[in-house]
Amino acid sequence: MKKKMLALALSLAMVASLTACGSAEAPAETTAPAETVAATEAAVAETPAAETVAETAAAEEDITLTMAWWGSQTRHDRTIEVIEMYEKEHPNVHIEYEYYSFDDYFTKLKTLVASDQVWDVFQLGGNFPMYMDKIYFLNEFIESGIVDTTNISEANLKITQDTEGNQIGLSNGLNTYGIAYDPAMFEEAGATLPNENWTWDDYYEAAEKIHDELGIYGSSAFGTSDFIAGCSTYVSEHGAVGEYSFFNIDLTGMGFDDAQMLTPYIQMRADMINSGSYPDAGAEAEITDIENDFLVTGEAAMTWVAANQFPTIYDDCQADGRTLALAPLPKVTADGHAGGVIQSSQMLCVSQDSQHKEAAAAFISWFQNSVDCNNVLQGERGIPVNSEVRAALSANATPGQQVMYDYVDMVSGFEVPEKYNVLSPDGQDQVVDNYRNYVQQVAFGEISAEEAADKTYADALAIFNK
Amino acid sequence: MEQKKSVRTGKWLYKFINNENTVGHVFAFPFIFGFICFSMIPMLTSFRYAFTDYSLGTKTAEFAGLKNFIMLLQDEVFLKSLKVTLRYVLISVPMKLIFALLVAFLLTRKSKMVTLYRSLYYIPSLVGGSVAVALVWKQLFARKGLINMILKAQGLGTVNWFGDQKLALLPLILMSVWQFGSSMIIFAAGLKEIPVTYYEAAQIDGANGFQRFFKITLPCLSPIVLYNLVMQTISAFMAFTQAFIITEGGPNNSTMLYALYVYNQAFKYNNMGYACAMSWFMLLVMGAITLIIFKTSKFWVFNESDQ
Repeated sequence: MKKKMLALALSLAMVASLTACGSAEAPAETTAPAETVAATEAAVAETPAAETVAETAAAEEDITLTMAWWGSQTRHDRTIEVIEMYEKEHPNVHIEYEYYSFDDYFTKLKTLVASDQVWDVFQLGGNFPMYMDKIYFLNEFIESGIVDTTNISEANLKITQDTEGNQIGLSNGLNTYGIAYDPAMFEEAGATLPNENWTWDDYYEAAEKIHDELGIYGSSAFGTSDFIAGCSTYVSEHGAVGEYSFFNIDLTGMGFDDAQMLTPYIQMRADMINSGSYPDAGAEAEITDIENDFLVTGEAAMTWVAANQFPTIYDDCQADGRTLALAPLPKVTADGHAGGVIQSSQMLCVSQDSQHKEAAAAFISWFQNSVDCNNVLQGERGIPVNSEVRAALSANATPGQQVMYDYVDMVSGFEVPEKYNVLSPDGQDQVVDNYRNYVQQVAFGEISAEEAADKTYADALAIFNK
Repeated sequence: MEQKKSVRTGKWLYKFINNENTVGHVFAFPFIFGFICFSMIPMLTSFRYAFTDYSLGTKTAEFAGLKNFIMLLQDEVFLKSLKVTLRYVLISVPMKLIFALLVAFLLTRKSKMVTLYRSLYYIPSLVGGSVAVALVWKQLFARKGLINMILKAQGLGTVNWFGDQKLALLPLILMSVWQFGSSMIIFAAGLKEIPVTYYEAAQIDGANGFQRFFKITLPCLSPIVLYNLVMQTISAFMAFTQAFIITEGGPNNSTMLYALYVYNQAFKYNNMGYACAMSWFMLLVMGAITLIIFKTSKFWVFNESDQ
């Protein structure tokens, strides 16, 4: 008889705790069975647990947020760690996360956009104009104080606003591009070290020299960033500051007229592929993320990085006894102006599809403003926009991070146009893939660099004539 | 009266439930349901989208008439992908079938190990077009991969498999040939059906092994060759994983298989309407090729009932 009673009580408790766990949608229903158990519990050990679950469920609604991002393994590890931290601080919030490589992230995002199921919190970069319909502006949350912007300067808020001043998201950090390189390899090959005024010709000569002397790639593959290097940056480095850009400021047309402006870069790239100082398509496909870039594996002397990626590869190389350095992007002429600008690396946005927009906004605010959180993240997504967080991080900066801070400070001192555009229009992906393919066709001798430049220009123009 | 009626309906119901047609439909229902929901409706939808500028990002689908199909003909990458895919099919399918037939033939010997070997050879097909296998393949043919290590150890130079646009398709073809298991099993079953008496008669007449293979085995097996040829051609046209994982279509789009380009247009470049048009074009191509195979089959498929 006693056994039977115990079994009954146990099974009742189990049923109650099960319903309590699944109470996200209907907290009112769960309280009733939980109370019945409270009456029968007396001798049963498990029930106190069930009771507390039921109580918190009644006090504060259980929320499940979904979140996703792209990045390298380091980013995945650190982000997961802070998500667990947040869940511990907010027991009623549960965050389901997914992470991808850059390309896969956007493939997945597009399918979610189509099915109206975009993650509550999601990461977007300069290609956000395409996803504008899915972004829920943070304006109201900033007004109500759910999103704390006290330590974020006006200028840093502005980098993630649209032209009408709507807060699209909170920036994950400030960022700019650069060339990471191994000075020891340069010296061994007798190549001239990069400096603040080095040009693409210097870059080419150094890469060739390193390849000839050491038999490795002078420069690792720029990947899809070769488009940013050879089109966006290279074009904007011409003429006076702000005179040219690849796309115009409003993303409604081209920002330059003469397609042949692209030719020298395409020719250089093709020559480098043919001489072996730059990886061909096959070798390039072996690079899956920044942490197995040829610079890190010791097969190349320099590579293209976003400044926020630098500390990671710096540490990776330090473990092998190599010390990396960071140089600004090469210029077109030594006395010309620099092509790099400070921009938002990426941002976290709240989705229109979210059932818990407020909770999502609260998480984003914590993610950017909490010193504890950012002590784990370590500015891996870019230099924090919150001045307090930045001060806390730079106080304990590792040598690699120090290089990044100094570098970003240096680039912010460069002369930049009043208005510049780091955004990309819908359809850019195809232009990028075609551009990279044309470069290969030039390398294989199928077309000339001039033709490649014309074709790239025509492809880009076609975006606006769809 | 009432009772009689209910007995009659009872009988009718009993008859209906036990009717062969009903039973058949009930058992086929899961398939029919799946087919309608996951094949037919998406296919019809894609047919509609093929005439619009539908994109996953904007979710608007405006009628565009034949614009997508006209654009196809001007698209360099499309024409290249068509060429690459035809080349892939023309090389990989015959190689796969020859290899499958050879192994199946070897495994007709009466030995206890035959079942084991058959299972072993079937394993690559079980893992199928999986991502894991493609990644292994990528490593094997990498610049410093196993294949190049072996070539180097033999004193031969290393080969830049995925950097050379003339060679890059070869590892992908080899991967598909390696997965010959399902054709092999079908061939093996066909080989068993050939009456032993034919071989015995031929042997008495003094036919050697080659003659027996070409005069008896091959003609008797030709209906099965036809089946395998059609099935493998269709699946080769739809090859995707290898190109997506190993080469991403490069270098210079020399491994841009058709399915990969459809995928890129649909999900990467956000031109779902265009991608749908491409899919329907591929359906026409595949339909035409299958038709040609069937039409020519009367010249080479041996059918005993015709004799």
